[in-house]
Amino acid sequence: MEAIRAENLSKTFRVKRKEKGIKGSVKSVLHPQAQEIKAVDGVSFTVEEGEILAFIGPNGAGKSTTIKMLTGILYPDGGSLEVLGLNPTKRRKQLAYEIGTVFGQKEQLWTHLTPYDNFRFFGAIYDIPEKETERRIKELGELFTLGAFIDTPVRGLSLGQRIRCEFVASLIHRPKVLFLDEPTIGLDPVVKGTIRSLIRQMNKELHTTVFLTSHDVGDIEKLCERIVIINSGRVVLDDSMTHLKDIHTSGMSLENIIMDIYQAEGRSEAV
Amino acid sequence: MLTAVENQLWVCLLSVKYNIMREMTNKVTFLTNIVFMMLNNAAFIVQWLILFRLREEIGGYTMKEVMLLWGLTASSYGLSHILFARVFTLHELVVNGKLDAYLVLPKNVLLSVMTSATETSSIGDFLYGMVIMCVFSFGVGRFFLFLLFTLTGALIITALALLTGSLSFWLVKSEMLGTHMTNSMISFGTYPDGIFHGTAKFLLYFIIPVGMAIYQPVHIMVSFDGGMLLRVLGYTALLTAVAVAVFYRGLRRYSSGNLMESRI
Repeated sequence: MEAIRAENLSKTFRVKRKEKGIKGSVKSVLHPQAQEIKAVDGVSFTVEEGEILAFIGPNGAGKSTTIKMLTGILYPDGGSLEVLGLNPTKRRKQLAYEIGTVFGQKEQLWTHLTPYDNFRFFGAIYDIPEKETERRIKELGELFTLGAFIDTPVRGLSLGQRIRCEFVASLIHRPKVLFLDEPTIGLDPVVKGTIRSLIRQMNKELHTTVFLTSHDVGDIEKLCERIVIINSGRVVLDDSMTHLKDIHTSGMSLENIIMDIYQAEGRSEAV
Repeated sequence: MLTAVENQLWVCLLSVKYNIMREMTNKVTFLTNIVFMMLNNAAFIVQWLILFRLREEIGGYTMKEVMLLWGLTASSYGLSHILFARVFTLHELVVNGKLDAYLVLPKNVLLSVMTSATETSSIGDFLYGMVIMCVFSFGVGRFFLFLLFTLTGALIITALALLTGSLSFWLVKSEMLGTHMTNSMISFGTYPDGIFHGTAKFLLYFIIPVGMAIYQPVHIMVSFDGGMLLRVLGYTALLTAVAVAVFYRGLRRYSSGNLMESRI
């Protein structure tokens, strides 16, 4: 069964243009100019329930814009979209109960509170009874080994500890689909390994669908069964990892395969 | 439906509680901010005492009524900044694409944003307003009216900030308009409306809504008028509804952002 379906999805941003210097500033006040940029241009794909999908592309390819439309943050300009049978634009709140998000570059935790207080707050946000929240904090705390720092304010935690807490906050309501945008950015290899094995474990035990964007080939190689590559707002490849490796020269690393595809399609400079 | 409303209110209360906990991280700063704001406001009592030695009435107001005016302005401003301080910097969230964290939560996005910050010094404003009311004009009925008008005043100030802040979805530099409007409202709210005439009075009732937030409520507390009370309540509901509608209309234009950020 499909967890995500996107058809001809598109999103255009209007970006103001200004010539350099004070002259350009004055000119932009008198004659404001803007340029339309198609961040996402007719993207279509599906994700099956329980699948781990890598959604990758160079910087500015439209990955984050797509993930933001899938989670209800942005309104698409065109196309249709369904996540767990719900339209994220029209049923944002209802969908939020069913999905979790971890944006590696954006924290959702309150930094002055301890992870424990944060998780209690998230429990309230998702209308989970207090006793059940306690039980889930204990369960996820053990899974992500938070014991040593669960009562330390978030601002005092290392990046790796914080990301583990971000995961717990995103999983407290047991989402069916987890959107991960660069979840291992800035982490050392050991913590990356831990995070990857936790994602795999979660997918196996809870059958959670994972939609992953990452520039880290290790994340993709170790976690994903299928890969969708996007460039200049368009899907340029949608294939299984096994098939992708089979059709390329034997012994070629995934990083080189991806680089080849990026270069063949021309790196996106649009956004 | 009722459970959903209860849950939403519970989350808002938790959010305000955590905001205050954050402000209390440094206890000395927290307390001095409150105390000095109360002292700062109290300094104006001296100014009015001197003026009322020269004249018995100013703009149709006695000393007691001016203090009621001051009290209501301070408590309304205080309450709006205790509960909804983030609205006053909404432009920053919109322009820099920082609404994402609120949009992925299963709660009302506007309430989640509004209740995500508290301004410590506004606790001093709120307490000052209450003290001034009790010292200069206490009466049981009047006290309850004062509480009601503190709420409507806070809602009007917040709605005005929300309305101007929401313009950021269309205009990048709309924060200046919002800041000037809110500051004008607070400044004019501490002077009797009787000293303003013609265009100034029109502006204070129809452009900067200080008339409905402060002046009319003071008149009602001095001499009760049911019709006027209904007008104040109706105006509050209308302005709030318009501001909320403009916010949600603008939200469709929200373009997010890719800046590194944290919730502090």
